[in-house]
Amino acid sequence: MSRKKASKGKGGSASPSTTKDNSNKSSKSGLVAGVQANGVVHPSRPSVSSSEFYDVAFKVMLVGDSGVGKTCLLVRFKDGAFLAGSFISTVGIDFRNKVLDIDGVKVKLQIWDTAGQERFRSVTHAYYRDAHALLLLYDVTNKASFDNIRAWLTEIHEYARQDVVLMILGNKADASHDRTVRREEGERLAKEFGVPFMETSARSGLNVDLAFTAIAKELKHRSMKGVDEPKFKLHEYVNKEMKTTGCCRT
Amino acid sequence: MEKANGARAPPPQQQPQHRINVPSTARERVSSVDPYGFERSNDFDYESYEELMSEYLAVLTKRSIKWSKLLQGKSRVEKNFKVKRYVRKGIPNEHRALIWMAASGSQEQMENNPGYYHSLLQGQHDPKLVETIHTDLHRTFPDNVQFRKTAEPCLQKPLYNVLLAYGHHNKAVGYCQGMNFIAGYLLIITKDEEKSFWLMEALLGRILPDYYTPAMLGLKTDQEVLGELVKMKVPAVWQVMMEHNVMWTLVVSRWFICLFIDVLPVETVLRIWDCLFYEGSKILFRVALTLIRHNQALISQAQNLPDICDRFKQITRGTFVEDCHPFMQNIFKEPGSLSMATITKLRAACRARITAVEP
Repeated sequence: MSRKKASKGKGGSASPSTTKDNSNKSSKSGLVAGVQANGVVHPSRPSVSSSEFYDVAFKVMLVGDSGVGKTCLLVRFKDGAFLAGSFISTVGIDFRNKVLDIDGVKVKLQIWDTAGQERFRSVTHAYYRDAHALLLLYDVTNKASFDNIRAWLTEIHEYARQDVVLMILGNKADASHDRTVRREEGERLAKEFGVPFMETSARSGLNVDLAFTAIAKELKHRSMKGVDEPKFKLHEYVNKEMKTTGCCRT
Repeated sequence: MEKANGARAPPPQQQPQHRINVPSTARERVSSVDPYGFERSNDFDYESYEELMSEYLAVLTKRSIKWSKLLQGKSRVEKNFKVKRYVRKGIPNEHRALIWMAASGSQEQMENNPGYYHSLLQGQHDPKLVETIHTDLHRTFPDNVQFRKTAEPCLQKPLYNVLLAYGHHNKAVGYCQGMNFIAGYLLIITKDEEKSFWLMEALLGRILPDYYTPAMLGLKTDQEVLGELVKMKVPAVWQVMMEHNVMWTLVVSRWFICLFIDVLPVETVLRIWDCLFYEGSKILFRVALTLIRHNQALISQAQNLPDICDRFKQITRGTFVEDCHPFMQNIFKEPGSLSMATITKLRAACRARITAVEP
């Protein structure tokens, strides 16, 4: 049957796919290839559709309870847009691609968006083991989604590969009035499990690009680290770069 | 119009006409909201829609007359070969609720259980169920004007009621994502909570296998059954799926869970549901096989897993699926014979295989 086996001939570990993607994907961001988020242009790169050419590719999965904002986060990252009240609940599993320029290397993230409802997990489990990175989300306005993080971590431990890059994101950080989970609580939990953490907002865009960029940097460094290159420190990078919500209602 | 043998009138003088408010493009003629309240997407092709509709309207009118004759104001309809043929050719929207209710046995259920629906809404509610449903209320058809909070009447409350009642009625299922879309469609068509509830019960309780229970065994089974059917009927596609280790669930789970809602165009989905209520879940395989077989060249050229996923999305768009009347004729031709006996046998085999693997 079509059960997914361990990837063929790839040694099982975080070996990224390095084939050029020749499929004709539509790309809305076709003109931004070679331009980094900070506007640095890499003239060596041809200005072609950003989704067509890449050097390395990785699979990232978004997981977390239903309604924490996984799809919104992905759309914010992919298209830079947030349209309040325009999202439908995700049924099953879906993915979108985005190519990032990480220190001159084109890193394609194939980002898998999953249904959050518990019963769909038996469907999504099978994809855990192929994921190079997992972004585990909770909603800072929904205590239950935070309390479930431990259960999610157990599940990840069971189904994901051992060297998976993991990050916990407290989403909807803009909703200060409805907040029920303080930032410190998120930090503490993440620290307990030794996982990088930040708060994000798909609505305002807070730390959204950073979350994906940090993941891409880590994966890129792991897969193509030069002999003399210092090890990339994901924790440090995240803590240095992340922004926090302006006011301190907590 | 020119008369056959009449004197040829001199050509009228070309006079400048001031056309006021006469729409000149399809974009201006066709409403930006469809008859069911869905806003058309930005890339909606108004020209080709108008072209399709000009033909389809003739079909609809013809069908409407035939159905009116058949029903003659009756609120009952027998199941027989003629009605089945009529259903396959499409139920006019004005009769849809009636025929769905009759064909699925929902009408009978509703009459035999007066007050049951309302009794489910009274009394204590499971708070977890309430919360789960609430999470999806504003995420159900935000692109439909009837589901907007500002709509009058707004269908969000009826949607909540139907889902809550169903969750209490069928505790083994409770609420599963996807049911929100199904209940939403039922409300759009029936405009009636209680009827929507009983149609929901017909679908989940009798017509479909156990797609929505926590173990989703029926869903997993039917995905594998589809795989087996593809292996038999469209081996090239089966081959490419095997080659890239693609699980069927990845590409078809929404087809089954949402019964093609938000996968295929609204009108096409409703035509499929006409047959689903009348003939049962077999129709889902017919639709899936038609999509796959018709596009087998496209799918089998896929290079990798994401490419396969993309192509499976691609085949649910375009004229082939938008032109719902020929599409529905196709589903009874393209996949060839498909007996219920085959499906039953495959279901048993696949289910046994899945339960053997899972704890």
